[in-house]
Amino acid sequence: MDKKKIAKVLSFRYKILALILLVLAGGLVLLPKYQKQEGIVSEVLLNNATSPERYITTDQIANKILNQDPSFILVDVRDEKSYNNYSLPNAINIPLEKLLNEESIGYLNQNQFDVVLFSNDNLYADQAWMLCNRLGFKNLRVLNGGLNKWFTTIINPEKPNDDMPAEAFELYNTRKASSMFFGVMYLDQIISEDIDSNKSEKKQVIPIKKKKKKVAEGGC
Amino acid sequence: MKELEKVKRISIASTLFILIILIGVLSFKRPKNMYALNTKNTLEKLTTNNYLISINDLDKPEIVLIDVRSQYEYEKGHLENAINLPSPEILSDENQQIFKEIVNLNKTAVIYGKNPQEANIPFLILYQLGFDNIKLLNAENSFNQNKLINNETQIETYKNDIQSFINQSAENLNAALKAKETEPPKKTIIVKKKKKKVAEGGC
Repeated sequence: MDKKKIAKVLSFRYKILALILLVLAGGLVLLPKYQKQEGIVSEVLLNNATSPERYITTDQIANKILNQDPSFILVDVRDEKSYNNYSLPNAINIPLEKLLNEESIGYLNQNQFDVVLFSNDNLYADQAWMLCNRLGFKNLRVLNGGLNKWFTTIINPEKPNDDMPAEAFELYNTRKASSMFFGVMYLDQIISEDIDSNKSEKKQVIPIKKKKKKVAEGGC
Repeated sequence: MKELEKVKRISIASTLFILIILIGVLSFKRPKNMYALNTKNTLEKLTTNNYLISINDLDKPEIVLIDVRSQYEYEKGHLENAINLPSPEILSDENQQIFKEIVNLNKTAVIYGKNPQEANIPFLILYQLGFDNIKLLNAENSFNQNKLINNETQIETYKNDIQSFINQSAENLNAALKAKETEPPKKTIIVKKKKKKVAEGGC
């Protein structure tokens, strides 16, 4: 009788084993949750952040704007008031507080464009970059020196001294030309235009007619 | 025969099962330095809390100064009582231990570098790891003849009003143009040529 009962139970042995495993698997859910880490690990983030790869210079940006390079968008992370006062041409405004809003993420997390973040210097832009980099967003750059450097290099470039190498003058001339593109006007602009207009006037050619020698008339 | 096959199958299944569990346990790596804040919380804290400290507040006893510049620069000159933890090594075990100690002693770590922008990176990493008692020194350190000079700076100030500069330049140009236009035209004096009269009879 007993043997029969045991045999009956034993015939379910696989099902019982499976049931035990299922119960154990269910137990996993009750294990203490350890906080899920968002984004890349801190060591990688530190590595990314210490490399200066993300920086883009003001000259590069000026050049891109001048050539109407369609491959990048400019993002101003300052507040709205400063943005309305002055911003780079065609920049969009995402104040730092709204960086991780859903509408903003649409601009930041995409593969089509390079995103150039900027602020007055690069502190806020770096902070924005850091958070986005942790989330794994790609193609993010930071304008090195921000708008303050933009002013000192592009808008109001420093005139090189006479003893500086020729490259300094070349750089100054390109910067000056791009600053004119961004709306700055120079006094020597009109002077040079004047010179140009003077030059363009055609000199009137006055033909000098040679007097024909007359046959000597009879004197008295 | 049938029973033997069953046993074989079970043993294969169980070894596979155990293997999977082993692989799972071995490959499970807990990150060494855990974030305490997710990005949204970090952003919220950054925009609401004041994490800057000025050089005038440095003489308090609870402050521990941390220099994140390279060792070379640190040895060239550093603030008094500062510890040198170069920013690329900020996450090493020993350095993390130092930060934990600072927390345990209820002190405030003040991070500084060449400028606030440079110190910003290690600061932000530590901030995300959950160290609440760290601040960023609002100062610029530069060398003048091997002497460290420490200046208070302002972060994120709009130093030059670019728009008004552009407007000003346009105004200057217009003013110059106007000045040119209003210059009195040169008077041309027409000299009448006297007609030569036919010589009247002399004598």
